[in-house]
Amino acid sequence: MHDTIPSRSGALAVAREQGRAIVAVLPYHYPRALLRAHRCHPIEVWGPPFEPGDLGALHFQAYTCGIVVKATSFLVREGFDRVDAVLVPHGCDALQGMGSVLGDFVAPTPPVLTFYPPRRARPADRAYLVEEIRALGRRLAEVSGHTPDEADWAEALAAEEAADAALADLYHRRGRLDVDDRRFYEVVRAREYLTAEDFTALAASLPEHDGAPDADGDVGLLLSGIVAEPLDLFDRLRAMGARVVADDLATGWRRVYPPSTLADPYERLADRLLAAPPDPTLGAPLDARAGLLVERLRASGARGLLIYDVTFCEPELFAVPVLRERVTAAGFGVLHVEHELGTTLPNQTLTRIEAFVETLR
Amino acid sequence: MNLPTTLSDLRVHGEHLLQFQVLGSTALRVQRLRNERKLGALRMGPDDVLAPPPRALARMQELMSRHYLEGRYANGVRKVAWVTSGAPWEPLEALGFFPVYPENHAALCGVRRRAEANCEEAEAHGYSRDLCSYARTDIGTVLSGETPVGRLPRPDLLVCCNNICQTVLYWYEVLAHHFDCPLVVIDTPFLYGEAQEHQVAYVRRQFDEELVPTAERVAGRTLDERELVRVMLEARDASQLWREVLDRSRHRPAPMTAFDGFLLMGPIVNLRGRRATTEFYRDLLAELDARVERGVGAVAHERYRVAWDNLPIWYRLSKLSKLLAGRGVNVVASTYTYAWGELAPLMDPTDPLGSGARVYLHPILNRSTGHKLEAMRTMVEGFSLDGVILHSDRSCKPYSLGQIDQRDQIVDTLGVPALLLEADHNDPRAWSEEQSVNRIEAFIEMLETAAS
Ligand code: SF4
Ligand code: SF4
Repeated sequence: MHDTIPSRSGALAVAREQGRAIVAVLPYHYPRALLRAHRCHPIEVWGPPFEPGDLGALHFQAYTCGIVVKATSFLVREGFDRVDAVLVPHGCDALQGMGSVLGDFVAPTPPVLTFYPPRRARPADRAYLVEEIRALGRRLAEVSGHTPDEADWAEALAAEEAADAALADLYHRRGRLDVDDRRFYEVVRAREYLTAEDFTALAASLPEHDGAPDADGDVGLLLSGIVAEPLDLFDRLRAMGARVVADDLATGWRRVYPPSTLADPYERLADRLLAAPPDPTLGAPLDARAGLLVERLRASGARGLLIYDVTFCEPELFAVPVLRERVTAAGFGVLHVEHELGTTLPNQTLTRIEAFVETLR
Repeated sequence: MNLPTTLSDLRVHGEHLLQFQVLGSTALRVQRLRNERKLGALRMGPDDVLAPPPRALARMQELMSRHYLEGRYANGVRKVAWVTSGAPWEPLEALGFFPVYPENHAALCGVRRRAEANCEEAEAHGYSRDLCSYARTDIGTVLSGETPVGRLPRPDLLVCCNNICQTVLYWYEVLAHHFDCPLVVIDTPFLYGEAQEHQVAYVRRQFDEELVPTAERVAGRTLDERELVRVMLEARDASQLWREVLDRSRHRPAPMTAFDGFLLMGPIVNLRGRRATTEFYRDLLAELDARVERGVGAVAHERYRVAWDNLPIWYRLSKLSKLLAGRGVNVVASTYTYAWGELAPLMDPTDPLGSGARVYLHPILNRSTGHKLEAMRTMVEGFSLDGVILHSDRSCKPYSLGQIDQRDQIVDTLGVPALLLEADHNDPRAWSEEQSVNRIEAFIEMLETAAS
């Protein structure tokens, strides 16, 4: 197993050495192989939590979510100087505002590219998405100066799909892995910035238990939300005698895209994005999402659902009452907490989680 | 209209006929005539800061009250569609649907001071106070049944178009869960720049493959192309007239305020595509023209002219209007009211669905922050404005994010004062009277300084 996971800066240096243009990518869904085929490398920006946010607050009101404020701050402070372009996928009103403000008002910046994934998965959405991916490809070609040929596509699809398969395999092997939750999510989240090869190797290196796992007494939780920060959360859960047995995180399971058999690269990328697990930022129907969560709670052996939302996150907050109703009716516990994206966990939040875990024992 | 086939259907139709068509409509007509007389007789007193509202307000009240009255008796008589304010309404009008605009109903709750209680109802059911206060008001109404209009009809169909925000997508999912009825989503990619062909084609395809077939199935009839053309023609004419109404405030003194506009826009939002709506705006325009001719201004002593950006603060409409008018400030333009007029040139009645795809992609809320700044810049020039008030609306992120830069640009490049006023469109708990009044006073002082 890799003891230390390369940092974002390390990954950026590797990609530069490989001759790739660096694209800072905001959450959530985008066709990663498209970037690779165009000799670009995505480094995702999810805050970061340690960023103070002051420069973002010069552009966004106090009622804007921490991801947008901190990511803007981070890009203005140092990110813009280190990348060749910024990609802001459209996932919610806050990201919409961010993409628009960066493009219209925050200058000088590298080119700001945008990408609007559809909010349904009907034939019209599929046809649109294929064209939207093509349009993004044209913008990427301007950034890197490279238009992919057939060999580029084959190479990019193979590498990125192998990395996605490695991510899916991590979830598949989860119960057998000899790593704690913190390590598991550090590795999962390395997909946000490592090259596909490095991620695939990292994921494969996680060891498995020799015998049966020894966590039988722990309370299993299904963790839902956007991002589980700070990572201390996992240490604290372990100290409470709880562990995450499954997740519905935008930084986790929601980006385990199923494979596609389509031959055309654009259609293949669209096919995979449209088959993503239910995610409100992709307009997933609420009842279907709630039903699937109940099924996953049952299948994973979780005893409760911990909804861990970033403050001011409308896509997540709207769903809470219906999720609570459906999950409770199925006999599982539910706790909803909100957190400011940051590096510490407030005691009050921890106390509520601890009390919740106790009720599930 | 659904035809009655059972005894209970007959009773429902009978109620609709008696309570709405005969008794209610007659009473409202009588009320309107009285109100028109009263408004016509009003004269501005020496201490009045505002001119009497246009007489047409009485007609507007009749149209809207009639609409909500019919809503009480609509279930079982007409198919009911709950739709977002930017939804492509024309095909539904042509199919005979009765419209409910939850945003408009929520605003009505705001004006009548019922929004807070409905928000609290939603919050008690777990809906966060950080969510859009229209959504909370509406969900609270659905959960409690409490509404100032007596009763809202249950939807047979939900139509959600995200050309105003993504919020409506989540909100309508909640409604679909509650009412267990079909939900049509018309997804309109946000326009960071000019619309691209694949975006227009996408919207058009959703009309053809989702909206029309689902609405036809629910309505139990086929869309009549000629009726659709007629509806589109009415919608275009009314939108065009509405735009002209707003443009009359380019005159100095302006014959109406944007606060009047917030109320007078009811029919263009809720009753688009009907003859009565077009006629209403034609009459209103004539009344404003008469005011312009006589040099009658809406504000007694119009000294400063400003624009309003974002939604109104519904629960403070009257107070704010008087506060500003008392200091000689007329809010003569607003990006919000213009949203229902500026797209009229894109509407082509000979190609209702094709042109509709472009129309419904282009509301100001589906366009970039730079475009909104440009719209404000055009207003500052076209309406000879002295300043801009940007309502920083706590629970409407799509309209509000970008305002900090827009405010800075207005000040820096246009050289006029701009105020970022913190509030919320429908939740009075986000309003701080003292702080807001102080900020408005300081803004007016800046207008005075700039003028001197
Ligand atoms: S945390 Fe929520 S509101 Fe913020 S960017 Fe993500 S989805 Fe949007
Ligand atoms: S008030 Fe804002 S957030 Fe709410 S429905 Fe309207 S546009 Fe959307």
